[in-house]
Amino acid sequence: MSGCCESCSLAKDHARADCGTKPSERTRLTVALAGNPNSGKTTVFNALTGLRQKVGNYPGVTVEKKVGLLRLPEGTWANVIDLPGTYSLVSRAPDERVARDVLRGLRADTPAPDVVVAVVDASNLQRNLYLVSQLIEMRAPLVIALNMMDVAERRGSRIDPEVLSRSLGVPVVPVVAHRRLGIHDLVHAIGRARPAELPDWQLPAVMRAEIAGLARALDPAQRNGAPLASFPARAEGEPPERRQERYRAMAERLLVGDGVEDLGLLHSPAAVATLVDSACATLRTAGVDPVQADIEAHYRWIEGISAAHESAHAVANEPAHAAANELARQAGPHERIHAPAHGSVHAPVRRRVHARPRSWSGSPVGERAPLPSVPLTERIDAILIHRVWGLLFFALIMGAMFASMFWLAKPLQEGLTAIIEGAGAAVSGLVPGEALQSLVRDGLFAGVGSVVVFIPQIAILFLFLALLEDSGYLARAAFLMDRLLAKVGLHGKSFIPLLSGFACAIPGIMATRTIEHRKGRLATILVLPFMTCSARLPVYGLLIGTFFASLGALRQAGIMLALYLLGILFAAGAAFFLRRTMLRGMDSGFLLELPTYKVPQLSVVGRQVLGNSSKFLTRAGTTILAICIVLWVISYFPRLPESRAAAQPDANAAAAAQREYSVAGRLGQAIEPGIRPLGFDWKIGVGVIGAFAAREVFVSTMAIVYGTGGDEETVNLATAMLADRHPDGSRIWTPLVAASLLLWFVLAMQCMSTVMVVRQETGGWRWPLFMLGYMNALAYVVCLLFYQIGSRL
Amino acid sequence: MLPGGANVVSKPTTERPEPLPSVRLSELPVGTRAVVERIEGTGDLFRRLLEMGFCNRARVTVVRRAPLGDPVEYSIRGYSVSLRKDEARCVMVVAPARYE
Repeated sequence: MSGCCESCSLAKDHARADCGTKPSERTRLTVALAGNPNSGKTTVFNALTGLRQKVGNYPGVTVEKKVGLLRLPEGTWANVIDLPGTYSLVSRAPDERVARDVLRGLRADTPAPDVVVAVVDASNLQRNLYLVSQLIEMRAPLVIALNMMDVAERRGSRIDPEVLSRSLGVPVVPVVAHRRLGIHDLVHAIGRARPAELPDWQLPAVMRAEIAGLARALDPAQRNGAPLASFPARAEGEPPERRQERYRAMAERLLVGDGVEDLGLLHSPAAVATLVDSACATLRTAGVDPVQADIEAHYRWIEGISAAHESAHAVANEPAHAAANELARQAGPHERIHAPAHGSVHAPVRRRVHARPRSWSGSPVGERAPLPSVPLTERIDAILIHRVWGLLFFALIMGAMFASMFWLAKPLQEGLTAIIEGAGAAVSGLVPGEALQSLVRDGLFAGVGSVVVFIPQIAILFLFLALLEDSGYLARAAFLMDRLLAKVGLHGKSFIPLLSGFACAIPGIMATRTIEHRKGRLATILVLPFMTCSARLPVYGLLIGTFFASLGALRQAGIMLALYLLGILFAAGAAFFLRRTMLRGMDSGFLLELPTYKVPQLSVVGRQVLGNSSKFLTRAGTTILAICIVLWVISYFPRLPESRAAAQPDANAAAAAQREYSVAGRLGQAIEPGIRPLGFDWKIGVGVIGAFAAREVFVSTMAIVYGTGGDEETVNLATAMLADRHPDGSRIWTPLVAASLLLWFVLAMQCMSTVMVVRQETGGWRWPLFMLGYMNALAYVVCLLFYQIGSRL
Repeated sequence: MLPGGANVVSKPTTERPEPLPSVRLSELPVGTRAVVERIEGTGDLFRRLLEMGFCNRARVTVVRRAPLGDPVEYSIRGYSVSLRKDEARCVMVVAPARYE
C-alpha cells in the first residue's frame, strides 16, 4: 500500500491495495467537495480550481465526475473532486451512491479523499447540516465552507462561524463563493481538517439495545459458531473497546439500511440479513422505525446546534413568509388549522411587503435586524409563480428559447454547413480518383457537416438551460408545469427537454440530465423523438404540398398542425405506458427544492455550454460520422457499369440508375415486399433508408432516385412522383400512400444521430436499441393498419 | 435566528406521548402553519421526506399552490420545497398551538 493509503483516515479497513491512482498522484492530497444541491458547491469548486478542471464520467454509472487541481499554500498540488450534490449519503439515488462510495473509498477509479470540504448553505443551515452530520459519522476529516453568507445576512440570520466551529470541532470558514470572498482562508483551512468528535446521537433506548445485540452477534469474539463478519487486516492486540465499537458501528449501519462494504466483510450475508430483519421487527413492534429514529437523532443534534445560535429574532425571522407569520400572530393563540388565512390565496404574500431587504454590508455583530422583510426571492416568486403573471412570464421565456433554437440557429447552421461544404469541395479536388473524391466530399465532409450542424442548437439550448438553472428559475418552471407532466408519469423538469424536441431531439435528450429521477429521465428520453423535430418539416412540406395541394393552404396548415399534435399525443401515451410498465415506480418523488434566486454566473454558464457541446462532439459525433460514411458506402457502391451509365439520357437519370444499382437501392428493393402493405414501394424504401442519416435526407434521396437531381427543388420531384406507375398502370403515389408515409415519419425512429446521443446519455446500448425497436415497430404496425384499412374504405 | 424547530425540544420517539389527531399536509390551505407529527408510508419517499427535515415537530408553512393546482410550495426549516399532492399526503401535521 502506498503512503497515501496509510495516512488516509477514511480508509479504515481497506482490503484493496490499489485505488487506481497513478504513483505520481498518490502523494497528492485528495480533497472532496460535498454539499447539498444549490449550496454553491460548484462555485466553490470553480473558485478553487479555476480552469484546471476535467469532466468525465464515473465508470459504470451515468454520474458526472469532475476533478480539478488546487495549488496548496505549501506549493504542492491537490486533487479536488467535486462530488455530485446530494441531500444525503444513504439514499438509493445513483448520485448519492457515487458520492458515498467515493467518500468511503469504495470506488476503484477514485482514491478515498484525505480531506472533505463540506459546502454548507448558510441561509439554509439545518438541512445542510444533515449531510454534515453524515460526514461526521463517517469520521471524515472535515472543513466546513459556510457559503452564501450574504444571503443569510440578508435574511437576518446571524451565524457565527467561530461558535459553529466550536460546536462541531472542525474549522468553519465563512465564504461568499460567487464573489470569491473567503476562498483564500478556505484553502489555508484545508491543512487543518480533522474528523469531528462523534456526537452522542441519542437514539431511543430500545434501538440502542438492538444495536448492541446485533453487534454481539456479529463479533466473532462474542459468539459461538462460525463468524458472521470480520474486519480484514486488523492489527493484533487491538483493545477490545475498539473492536466492539467497530462491530457496533457495523450493526448500526445494517439496521438503518446502509451498506457496510467499507467497514468489513460479511461472511454470511443471508444469515446477517435474517438477524437484521428480526431486529427491525422487534423495533417496529416497540413503535420505533430504525430509519426514522436515526434521522430524527441527527436532526435533534442539528436543532441543538441551531439553539446555540438562537437570537432574539428567532421567531420573527422565519425567512419564508414573515408574511404568513404576521397573519398567524394576528389569528390569535388558538389557531385552527382549517380556517383559511384570508380570502384570496395570494393575499398574505402580496399585502405584507414592507421593508426592503438589507444589503450585504457586514453590519456589526449585535445590531438588531430590521423587522421581518420578505426576502427578495419570495417577492420575485410572488410574480413568477403567479397564476397569471407566472404563466405569462413562463410562456415568454419558453417562446424566446424556442424561437432562438429555430430561427437564431438557422443562419448559424447554414453558415457552418456552407463552410464545411466548401471545405469538402476544396479538399476533394486534391485527391485522385472519383471514388475517393466522392468519399471525401459526400462521405467525410458531409458526415462532419451533419454532426456539426447540431452544435448551434445544442449551444443555444444549453445557454438557456444554464442561465435558467443557475438563476434558480428552472425549479420554478418545473413547479409550474409539473401538473401537466405528472398526468403521464413524467416530471415537471421534463418540460423543457420535451419542448426542445420540437427543434431537435438531440439537445432535448441532452437536456434531460436536469432530471434527477432515473426512470422519469429515461421515460422522457424514450418519448422525446415523438416531438415533431424540425428535420421532419421538409418531408412534411414535400408530401403535403404534393398530395394535398387541392385542399388549399389553410387545410394544409391544418394537416401540419395535426401531425404536431399526433406527435405530442404519442409522446404522452408512450410515456404513460412506459411509466406503468417497464419504468414503473416513484423514485423518490417529485420533491423539488426552490432555491433562492441569484444572478447567473457567466463562468459557470460558459463552462456548461462548452462542456456539453464538446461532449456531444466527442461522444456522439464520432459515431454519427461513422454512420454517415457507411451510408455513403452503401449508396455509392457497387458502381453502375459504364455501358449502362452512358445509356442514360442525362446526368440525373444516371444518378438515379446508380442509386438503384447500389447496395442502398438493392436494400430498398429487398425490403419492398415488407413495406408494400404500408403502401410503400422500393423507391420509398431507399428514401427511408437514406433518412436514417437524417430525416430531411429523405427529400434529397427521393430526388436522386427519381432522377430529378439532388437539390432542393421539389417541383420536378413532385411531378415525377405523381407520374410514377406500378407495372399494372395504377399510381404508386396516392394521397393514402402519402398519408401513410407521413404517419411513418411521425412515429418512426430514424435519426441515427439521436440513437447515438441516447447511447451517450444512458451509458449503454440497451436503451437506444430498445427505442429503435419499439418506435419502428409501432410505426410499422400503425402504418400497416392505416393503409390497409384506408385502402378498403 | 434559525427557524423551524429552534424553540421546540423534541424527544426520542419512544418517550413521546401517543400521536395526536392529525391532518394531512395536503389538506391544508395556503398560508397556514403547522407542525410535522409523523410521516406515513415507506420506502424512498419516507426516507427522503425525513432527510429533508420533515421530522422532530418541524414547523411547516404552506406557501403557495402552483397555478395548475399541483404541486404546492412549503417552507420548512428555513427553505422552500415543493411537494406533489400525493407526497404531501404522507406528511401528518398538527396545529402549532399544541406545542407552544
